[in-house]
Amino acid sequence: MLVAAVRRRAWWILLGVVLFAAAAFLPFVTTPFYVRVGQLVLLSSALGLAWTLLGGFAGYWSFGNSAFIGLGAFAAGIFEVELMKGQPWLGFALGLLLGAAISGLAASVVAWPILRLRGIYFAVAMLGISQVLAELNNNIDIFKGSMGLVLPRLSAFGLRPEALYFYLLLIATILITILAFAIQHSRIGAGLMAIREDEDTARMLGVPTERYKVTMFIASAALTGALGVIYAHSLGYITTSSVYRTEFSLNMIVYNLLGGIGTLIGPFLGSAIMVILTQVVLGRLLSIHMFVTGALLVLLVLVAPKGITGLVRALRQRWSAR
Amino acid sequence: MAIKRRTVITAATLALPAIRGASAQAAKTITFGGSIPLSGGAAETGLNVNNGYKTAVQFINEQGGVEIGGTRYKLDLKLFDDASDPSRAVNLIQRQLDDGVDFFLGSFGSNIVLPTAAVTERAEKPMVQAGGGSDQIFGQGYKYVFGMFPRATRQFRSTAAFIKTLMPPVQNYSVIFTNDAFSKTAAQGVMAAMKDQGIPMLESYSFPETITDASSVLASIRAKTPEALVCMTHDQDNLLIAKQMIATGTNVNLLFQGLGPQLGSFRETLGKSANGIYFQTYWDERAPLKDRFFGTPKDFAAYYRKNNSRPIAYHVSAGAACIVTYIEAMMAAKSIDPVKVRDALATIDVNTQYARIKFTEQGDGDPVIMGPWVGQVVGGAPEVIAPANAKTASYTYPTPPWSQRS
Amino acid sequence: MLALQTIADGLVLGGLYALSAVGFSLIFGVMGVVNLSHGALVMVGAYLAWFFWHALGLDPLVTIPVVMLCLGAFGYVYQRGLIQLAVDRSSHVASMLVTFGVALMLRNTLVLVFSPDLRSITPSYSGHPLLLGGIVIDPVRLAALGASLVLLGALALILNRSRMGRVIRATAQQELAARLCGVNAHHVYGLTFAVAAAFAGAAGAILGIVLPFSPPDEGLWTMNAFVVVTLGGVGSPQGALLGGLLLGVMATGTSQLIGPAFPNAMMFAVLVAMLLIRPSGLLGNAFAGSR
Repeated sequence: MLVAAVRRRAWWILLGVVLFAAAAFLPFVTTPFYVRVGQLVLLSSALGLAWTLLGGFAGYWSFGNSAFIGLGAFAAGIFEVELMKGQPWLGFALGLLLGAAISGLAASVVAWPILRLRGIYFAVAMLGISQVLAELNNNIDIFKGSMGLVLPRLSAFGLRPEALYFYLLLIATILITILAFAIQHSRIGAGLMAIREDEDTARMLGVPTERYKVTMFIASAALTGALGVIYAHSLGYITTSSVYRTEFSLNMIVYNLLGGIGTLIGPFLGSAIMVILTQVVLGRLLSIHMFVTGALLVLLVLVAPKGITGLVRALRQRWSAR
Repeated sequence: MAIKRRTVITAATLALPAIRGASAQAAKTITFGGSIPLSGGAAETGLNVNNGYKTAVQFINEQGGVEIGGTRYKLDLKLFDDASDPSRAVNLIQRQLDDGVDFFLGSFGSNIVLPTAAVTERAEKPMVQAGGGSDQIFGQGYKYVFGMFPRATRQFRSTAAFIKTLMPPVQNYSVIFTNDAFSKTAAQGVMAAMKDQGIPMLESYSFPETITDASSVLASIRAKTPEALVCMTHDQDNLLIAKQMIATGTNVNLLFQGLGPQLGSFRETLGKSANGIYFQTYWDERAPLKDRFFGTPKDFAAYYRKNNSRPIAYHVSAGAACIVTYIEAMMAAKSIDPVKVRDALATIDVNTQYARIKFTEQGDGDPVIMGPWVGQVVGGAPEVIAPANAKTASYTYPTPPWSQRS
Repeated sequence: MLALQTIADGLVLGGLYALSAVGFSLIFGVMGVVNLSHGALVMVGAYLAWFFWHALGLDPLVTIPVVMLCLGAFGYVYQRGLIQLAVDRSSHVASMLVTFGVALMLRNTLVLVFSPDLRSITPSYSGHPLLLGGIVIDPVRLAALGASLVLLGALALILNRSRMGRVIRATAQQELAARLCGVNAHHVYGLTFAVAAAFAGAAGAILGIVLPFSPPDEGLWTMNAFVVVTLGGVGSPQGALLGGLLLGVMATGTSQLIGPAFPNAMMFAVLVAMLLIRPSGLLGNAFAGSR
């Protein structure tokens, strides 16, 4: 039993390594558009993974993670524009740390009270927080949310910008995947799953539920913030509405739901499918693009409520039962 | 393998119209790409601009296309909905670039226009757009981006100069804007222009991106009434402000609303109360202009109305002018090489049904030549009241209170 | 004087907020579903009312029953056909995504049918400000407030006095017990949704005479509903009324005291604070949503 589990884990790791290694060749074999699509798939997967640390593992669905994208992007952006003129890479590196730190800090401030809320109340509170931050960012002049920030341009090794950000996001995604994998297979991961199944019982059994939840909330926020910094750079110019997007928050859930909540492969599957559908297959639709996206969402929940991993598992069970 | 197959399919679809053209008359096709916001908040403007593009392409194709450097070309449009999402817009612009589109039309809002312009700029393909006016777009040193309007901070100069001429002199003003890049820079432009004219500001009111209620600001305005109230907000916000001003009897001598009164639906809603509202306009059907393709603005409007049921707006005209400007530049360059077309755009000086087109060095519309006229709603219709050479009606100042308008 | 005016403006605005949120509150309270398409339903109501006014010249206050009927029917089918399915197959939180998908579809449909242009309804009685002891009040908004109060009162009556209301409340409190007493819970949920959608439609019709509108506004009305409901408490017209009026006064007050740019920020800050301090709202009784 244990041996089988370890062997399965080894297979997963191998699969991950092979896939990431294969992805690294993408910019060499395809057109810039597909590199950008790959960029978006990576960003979405990484955001989905960061979300799932709390949402998937512990069952606390945040509907406001875009708050951390925005916080990270603007914290780093203002810092780089104001203080780091002429040193784009140093500024970017420090900005990345700052974005993560500010997001994590903000999360730690609200973590204790907000994590007492459960289910839909937690979801709504997070939505509220992201709206408050977006409004403040947009309406207080020093944050430059309405006028926008032009971020320093990065370049390295003569890479085209889409390839550069593809690699940056690839590195970020790999790191987040490793972290998520480590958490999932650690004591804290088991504790989080206990919280997801039954929080009160878990606490009674001695799981330090509060500490686990808060830690994951902060980790999730910090990672999301760092991703926000990369995303902002890849756009080059951001206003409030480019980073504080409710769509971001909802998409993180959609990707996880479509792929399979609580799994690590889920966000990858979900974002790959959704990004390819909305940008590649439906990209040329002009007037009904929004309708089709909405219909897809509805279908997704109805047809594959447990996501693709759930669907596969169900099929496999049926197959082996035969 | 999959990618290869896809490339083949793309190539085949691209080649299709060309093959059909070859069998007919050996006409080649110039494709214009770009994104428009059709599902976000800016959808109304997006639709108008899109109708302008379509009208120009349809008209020119009906004429048998255009001849550039001895070759006859048909025109084609390939636009997509960016849903006001910058990353989506960037990706799909990249796809068009990969597909070989050389000429781009712009989206709406600086947070979309700037990231997409960064991509087209790098690829050295021109972008002529009628939807992004904020200063940031023209402050990046981009060489391939052109705008149909002067940058936002310059849009109020002519109006401020006009206000200075009013009798009795306007003693002070207040300004309302929303916190988005366009509205905010436009308001900064108002403040600068009014300062140049020596008219002091009483108060400035900033709103969130969409206004749902203006009652408390109007209460402040009633308590501290300026002689002129300048609203640099978008159509829907302006209509809301005007409606609430009427309903609460908030009167000022001069109400200026940058966007909105140009639209038929806006004036219809306000009825006779709309009379007397000042605005600025970039286009008027009666303007003494002549377009190589359409003729006068009146001819353009007539052609548009023949093919569309949607009321015409100046964004339609500006959209059509984007295409016509491109063609003029191609004809001047005698080439459809994007770099040569860009150079021709940079030095272009030509009349269209929209305006005389001349860009500044940074690519926005020349503030004098392409600057707005001052307008006022007179008898339910938008009229140009300044400058003197484009004037279609004389103005009323001070405007009577809402309750006495007829 | 300015303070009184601000409060009066807020109360008049609050009536509309209250009505626009009551349907959302009912759905959340009775079946624990967060209806992200609520604002879209409000917009559908506004467009229907606009259509009747524009094409037939009928005053929105007169066509409210028709609008409510249309949306009620839609709501019933929507709940039985989609939302119940989503809840059964997945979870309440996932049903939120279904409603978001429907919101996108409705918004796109409105754009296609009515164009993205801003619309506005101008009734004959608009444009003559009322002066009440130095306070200026917009008669249209006063009419809107009146209509909202009447409708909210009617809903309170239905819920508290009628058989249907009793069944709805019973199912909300104890679905299993209600089922055991012979209640068809799915039918009741359908009915609840129908009532909620009907009131969303009525709110749309009324907001049409107060504010200019366009399809993308739907997001705004969903958000407003969130705030009203967390303020006032879930599942009751009284809660929605209290929350709405408070929100209205808060919006105009913030605008006056802090600055017109900040009512939204304040709204959402209060939303979060309320959730932390008293998640069931000021008048709240814990219903399905909070369990």
